[in-house]
Amino acid sequence: MFEARLLQGSLLKKVMDALKDLLNEAAWDCTDAGIQLQAMDNSHVSLVSLNLRAEGFDKYRCDRNLSMGMNLGSMSKILKCASDKDIITIKAQDNADTVTFVFESPEQDKVSDYEMKLMNLDQEHLGIPETDYACTIKLPSSEFARICRDLSQFGESMVISCTKEGVKFSATGDIGTGNIKLAQSAKVDKEEEAVVIEMQEPVSLTFACRYLNSFTKATSLSKSVQLSMSPEVPLVVEYKIEDIGHVRYYLAPKIEDEEAA
Amino acid sequence: MFSTFSRFMKCYPTKDLIASLHRLCTVDYSYRKPTMTFLQFFREKCSHIQENPIKISKKKDKKPESDDELPISLKKRRKRAVSSSSEDSELNNIEKLDVKKKAKTVLNKVKSLTKFSDLPSSNETSSNGKLEIQKLSVLATSEDATEFSNQGLYNPCKQNYHPIQDATWKKGENIPYLALAKTLELIEETSSRLKMIEILANYFRSVFLLSPDDLLCSVYLCLNQLAPAYVGLELGVGEGIIIKAIAQATGRAPEKVKSDIAIKGDVGLVAEASKGTQRTLSMFKPASLTVNGVFTKLTEIAEMTGNSSQMKKVDKIHGLLVAAKQLEARFITRSLAGKLRIGLAEQSLLQALAFAAAVTPPNQSTPPTQLNCFAGLSSEAVKAKVEASAVILKTAYCQCPSYDRIIPVLLREGVEALPLHCSLTPGVPLKPMLACPTRGVGEVLQKFESSKFTCEWKYDGERAQIHLLENGEVRIYSRNQENNTSKYPDIISRFQSWINPSTSVHSAILDSEAVAWDIEKKQILPFQILSTRKRKDAVEADIKVQVCVYAFDLLYLNGESLVQMPLAERRQRLWNSFHKVCGQFDFATSRDPQTVEEIEEFLDESLKGNCEGLMVKGLVKDATYEIAKRSKNWLKLKKDYLDGVGDTIDAVVIGGYLGRGKRTGLYGGFLLACYDETNEEYQSLCKIGTGFSDEDFLTHSNFLKDHKISKPKPYYRYDQTLSPDHWFEPVQVWEIKCADLSISPVHRAAIGNIDPDKGISLRFPRFIRIRTDKNPDNATSSEQIADLYRSQEQVKNKKNCEDEEAVVSLSARMVSMGVDLPTLHAKLFRLLMGTNDSVVAGSTKRQDQVEEIRSDQLDSTGEFEVAVVVPDNFL
Repeated sequence: MFEARLLQGSLLKKVMDALKDLLNEAAWDCTDAGIQLQAMDNSHVSLVSLNLRAEGFDKYRCDRNLSMGMNLGSMSKILKCASDKDIITIKAQDNADTVTFVFESPEQDKVSDYEMKLMNLDQEHLGIPETDYACTIKLPSSEFARICRDLSQFGESMVISCTKEGVKFSATGDIGTGNIKLAQSAKVDKEEEAVVIEMQEPVSLTFACRYLNSFTKATSLSKSVQLSMSPEVPLVVEYKIEDIGHVRYYLAPKIEDEEAA
Repeated sequence: MFSTFSRFMKCYPTKDLIASLHRLCTVDYSYRKPTMTFLQFFREKCSHIQENPIKISKKKDKKPESDDELPISLKKRRKRAVSSSSEDSELNNIEKLDVKKKAKTVLNKVKSLTKFSDLPSSNETSSNGKLEIQKLSVLATSEDATEFSNQGLYNPCKQNYHPIQDATWKKGENIPYLALAKTLELIEETSSRLKMIEILANYFRSVFLLSPDDLLCSVYLCLNQLAPAYVGLELGVGEGIIIKAIAQATGRAPEKVKSDIAIKGDVGLVAEASKGTQRTLSMFKPASLTVNGVFTKLTEIAEMTGNSSQMKKVDKIHGLLVAAKQLEARFITRSLAGKLRIGLAEQSLLQALAFAAAVTPPNQSTPPTQLNCFAGLSSEAVKAKVEASAVILKTAYCQCPSYDRIIPVLLREGVEALPLHCSLTPGVPLKPMLACPTRGVGEVLQKFESSKFTCEWKYDGERAQIHLLENGEVRIYSRNQENNTSKYPDIISRFQSWINPSTSVHSAILDSEAVAWDIEKKQILPFQILSTRKRKDAVEADIKVQVCVYAFDLLYLNGESLVQMPLAERRQRLWNSFHKVCGQFDFATSRDPQTVEEIEEFLDESLKGNCEGLMVKGLVKDATYEIAKRSKNWLKLKKDYLDGVGDTIDAVVIGGYLGRGKRTGLYGGFLLACYDETNEEYQSLCKIGTGFSDEDFLTHSNFLKDHKISKPKPYYRYDQTLSPDHWFEPVQVWEIKCADLSISPVHRAAIGNIDPDKGISLRFPRFIRIRTDKNPDNATSSEQIADLYRSQEQVKNKKNCEDEEAVVSLSARMVSMGVDLPTLHAKLFRLLMGTNDSVVAGSTKRQDQVEEIRSDQLDSTGEFEVAVVVPDNFL
């Protein structure tokens, strides 16, 4: 028996928005520690890793480890039926081939439930090692979304260069070039609005804008976002979800073009 | 008018006014001239008073110019971007860093190979025993590098290639697609045909010994086919689908992929480059592609039909591309696009296959004893051996163009057994013999000098290879071995009635031409009419266009292949075994002339008979049926090849199609138009891509590039399907020649003149020269085009026929009205000289009269009624 009750139903809706751009289907792995989801997009360029810890739920019960393959398109359709204030409960029997979503209105006067068929997804689970990155950049998530949106008008890829002084995002294309520089912020009134850079060595990597733009669909989950980079390894874009977990995106860099270098 | 505008001017700001005037010009062509004049006047008057309107017009002019620049200046701009950012001192070190990093790349790659695996695996999920934990491994590129050390070294170009040791796969394994891709790449890089053959042969030798089951797919992939041509299996994948798949698989924007293709001119290279610039996370590395796997996938794509099959195709291609490593992506996309472009013709492939089979016989027991039969042989002996096996293989292929049948025999019993198992069979189409074009009658006599030859009318229809199978089934194949059986149910049902009842024919292969036939007038119709027939699954009852089959050769009769016999013999058998059925089946009209005059006379007759010209064939000497060869033993004498036939046409260039392959970066074809004086517009006339030298392409492309416009002029009339990649201003006139003029549903020349909704187009246009002395408005007018069309031999014939019938009917009537013969003759003479306008009023009217007389003929007893309305002033 698996049951997870989330008071803030809107959170799950937001998580869904953060996933469905990149993934068509994914396996939700449920253990007594919480819910995990990891999957690559079908081009094997990016990876999404979602972690929702058990203690973040109002009620959480998982008797046996369970892996539920879900079509995210269908799941998103179901979650659209829930209003933002609803309390959402996810339920499944052990070895069941369906999952049930229950939406309760805050006043408890309306309860709706939806049952969805599960899929058989033959996916291996990947353990992602915690790595020390050469650079980590923390910045307001809305700022990052803005940068990605603005620069993707210029080119299909974006260079992220990080030095001690700051971080530079740049894109080049047919209409010209765009550069956005962010310096480490001096004032730290509000922690989530600060730009914080930690760096061992300078790094400059190129990424496809399309994926970065998909990542920014998670903006509503967190006020700030953290980018971690090391030369030649995937970029990590992490959105922390308050009190419950995180969404991390991994993105393989592009091989730099001779001309652009 | 100007005063009205002046009043306007007072009320509106200048800028708005000019803008709206501009819009007026572009929206409706009919306003163009007056408005343009006014605009000019207006600018002259007001430019000094008001905020400069000239600026606006400049802006407008400039727009297309900057469009021109775009693709070329990309590189420059990138460099500029870099240099501008390096001005920034703060971030200057980043640029330096790039350089430093470059030096480090090698080191990094090695490092990253081990980076993650050295780290302790995370314990985040390790509590879960069921879930298998795999480390987030290195980036694909570095992994690719390791893989390349195993597979990438495959080199069939190597000296003393060892078919087992030098192969990158083991016995019984599926061949990695990379090995084939590598082979294809090496072939692409070579320009020497012999070298190509050797490379491919080495690959085939390995296949023979290690994975014979993959030979068939290898052969098909090399030829970019999926099945024998007569099966008609096509990929049905357009460039749009491929672009979509590339964009999805590499995270790029489809428009960018498209513009890259325009620059590079090859989908394969773009796919490879796109794939090459985006790393993948290599956690679940998709399984490496195998030759068999790729072939199966391609076949699956080809077989997909119906609802949302396009989407499914994109998905499949996407899957292939994700799994493809760089080189593989190039050849997979090229296979999909339908052009492998490695310069390997089918003949070379056969040669390579023969070569491979001669060196390393495929039908060996294991372990193979003969790895290299040529060791110790002299080069002459080697050559002779290869040649012998090539002849056998090629002959077998010509008689039975199906690898599905040849390859298994080759593998099982070797080359020598091929003639036994793969020979001419009814039901399997063979490649038709083709003819060489000639420039004149003189050339014909020169070629055939003393030997006997025959001339046949060259019918303007569709080649039809009619097979009669032993079981009585009749099949029809096209020139390209496509199965056309379902197109001609009428031929199928009638075929048995054509067989001469006094002979017994139970199996046969006929070579013939199917021609559209006018039952009423008992004459041949032009090819355009035939092409209006339904292409597939026609129902006999619905057929509007009747066909007559003109047979000219017999290749197989009652279990015996006749291809080695001289034409005289084959023709005799053809004549003996079949008989003429009026309007359904006939033998090609032929004559065996001796002199130039006789040939010319016969040629004229053929043109009058609505044919394209003559086919000239040897009768006794050099007269075997040479399958699939454009042989000198068959010559075609077409009217458009002859000098002095056909006027040249001066047409205006209005659009260009981007070139591919050799013509990348240039225009590979152009859209031409003629000028219509009444509507003051340019009407599309034809596409042109032949008659140009490489130099011509260069000069035209350079010249026209400067006259590119972002959208077609409002006074261009064309069909959307013909939209070129770039539009040009009407600036240059070209002199072109063509074979024929025909009614076209897509071109717009002289629309409404000959046919209310269809225009006229040119068949086989060829470029002659640039007419510098003519400006676009003086180009051949649509009226002239219409005249040319009318005066064409074929059309003339039709008219003449109508005229004749009209005259016959009229004279009959006059006789019945008691007009005496001398008067009649005089009247007819005047009529034919065109002095009596009232009679030549319109063919439709005359036709009606003819119809009426005909019915009268049937009713009465040979006497004509005078009930028909006769023009009053005629008698």
